[in-house]
Amino acid sequence: MFIISFFRAIKFSIQDIFRNFWLSLVTVVILVLALFLINVLLSVQIITKSAINSIKEKIDINLYVKSDATENQIIALKTEISNLDKVKNATYISKAEALESFKDSHRNNPEILQALRELNKNPLNATIVIKPKNIEQYEELTNELDQINNDIIESKNFDNPKTMLAKINTITGKINEVGLAVSLIFVLVTILVVYNSIRVTIYTHQREIKVMRLVGATNWFIRAPFLISSVFYTLIGLSITMAIFYPFLTILQPYLEAFFAGYNFNILSYFNKNFLLIFGAEFVVAVAINMIASLIAVRKYTKI
Amino acid sequence: MIQFINASKVYPPDVKALDKINLHILPGEFVSVVGQSGTGKTTLIKSLICEEKIDEGQIIVGGWDITNIKKSEIPTLRRQIGVIFQDFKLLPKKTLQENVAFALQVCGQPPKKINAIVPQVLKIVGLENKINRYPHEVSGGEQQRAAIARALVHRPKILLADEPTGNLDSINADEIIELLLKINKFGTTVVLVTHNREIVNRLKKRVITIETGKVVSDQAVGKYIL
Ligand SMILES: Nc1ncnc2c1ncn2[C@@H]1O[C@H](COP(=O)(O)OP(=O)(O)OP(=O)(O)O)[C@@H](O)[C@H]1O
Ligand SMILES: [Mg+2]
Repeated sequence: MFIISFFRAIKFSIQDIFRNFWLSLVTVVILVLALFLINVLLSVQIITKSAINSIKEKIDINLYVKSDATENQIIALKTEISNLDKVKNATYISKAEALESFKDSHRNNPEILQALRELNKNPLNATIVIKPKNIEQYEELTNELDQINNDIIESKNFDNPKTMLAKINTITGKINEVGLAVSLIFVLVTILVVYNSIRVTIYTHQREIKVMRLVGATNWFIRAPFLISSVFYTLIGLSITMAIFYPFLTILQPYLEAFFAGYNFNILSYFNKNFLLIFGAEFVVAVAINMIASLIAVRKYTKI
Repeated sequence: MIQFINASKVYPPDVKALDKINLHILPGEFVSVVGQSGTGKTTLIKSLICEEKIDEGQIIVGGWDITNIKKSEIPTLRRQIGVIFQDFKLLPKKTLQENVAFALQVCGQPPKKINAIVPQVLKIVGLENKINRYPHEVSGGEQQRAAIARALVHRPKILLADEPTGNLDSINADEIIELLLKINKFGTTVVLVTHNREIVNRLKKRVITIETGKVVSDQAVGKYIL
């Protein structure tokens, strides 16, 4: 008996959705907009997080070594630096290696390569590349490095990553704030739209509801189709969102790849890997919100 | 079968629809309830199916005190009481057969049972040849018969009829009354609310007269006395 009623409620719900087709359409469109926005926001968050990580990874300190320094002097310096406890690692790049990597990174620029050839000698310095253990200790580390007084050091290159990171943090913070506000508004609008469409559906079914009560249908059977409708709206809305969100990511991916050159980041595969977590959570939350909205409508408009 | 004990109902702010009603209707009785417009007849019917709650007194249906019935028990009560109205309350987009089946569907009955009961009740009311018509394709009398068929699907012990002939011409009205009598003969208690003097006088059954929420006369073989 319960199973029969359950399937009948589903059938009634599907009939309702098609009978109020335009209303259902508007409801689904609003839902799709809200869900799409939330997913875009999520992507922005994922992208900025990855960007910050990649920037952190790229942060290093270059010590340029004078041309007349001997190999032994350089190795000794390198060892000394490596032993500092704020240093993750120090890598020695010889003049030849530096030239190779310079050529490689400018291989598409014939003018520079030409100029290099005309110069007829290696203009690059040997370098010690230092990776800090912790970005937060960057300044302390540069201070320590300043105290190393070794005359084979020609120059040091300290960029200040903290200000850059701070900038990125404020920008992403702003994006998140605005995004959160916009999606809250959309969630609110969605609740109102779902509430209203359930209300209107109930209104168009007043006769049926009256008859159902008269012949002894239970309260839950009268209400179930409307609640099931809200689940269907969510299911349809989320499916459509996924159907347009994936192509959107595919279009976005090449741009991201260009931005994250040399850093392995793929938003598509991120979404694929976390598919169940992301869309499952969205489904559960959206169903819960819509159920609550329709429950309120149903309680208010289908009194016994 | 039906008992009202000092039952009172006030619609806010101060319309006394039922005023200390005392009634006892026995199983298998056929009772007419008459009275002028606005005297509380419909309120009486509604309080029996818990569409309205009385403020004072007690109502007992088939030994069940429904005065303070739980909300979850109301459907059970309504499956034991069939009700028909002046305006039939059929669903216009369903055929007569579908209208009757609907009452069983929404109560969780299995298709097998529905397929067995629906033709039976449609036959009882004499609509076996019009089961696939829509309400607007049949006469008012036939619509009321379909409504009666629907009221019978749960095999109720009580059938309440609130002015069932109000929208019908006298020939159709007579047929509906005949049908109610036939159902009564099967053992169902029938309560008929009506304004039709001729019908009441011809029935020669118990007549209860209500005036401004009070029972002013209750005759075993009554006449329309207003
Ligand atoms: N929902 C309501 N709210 C307020 N007053 C109501 C309501 N329903 C009925 N009444 C009032 O209660 C009184 C009794 O109404 P009821 O419908 O029971 O009369 P009735 O005897 O069925 O009349 P009629 O013969 O015209 O159908 C009337 O004065 C009516 O105006
Ligand atoms: Mg009335």
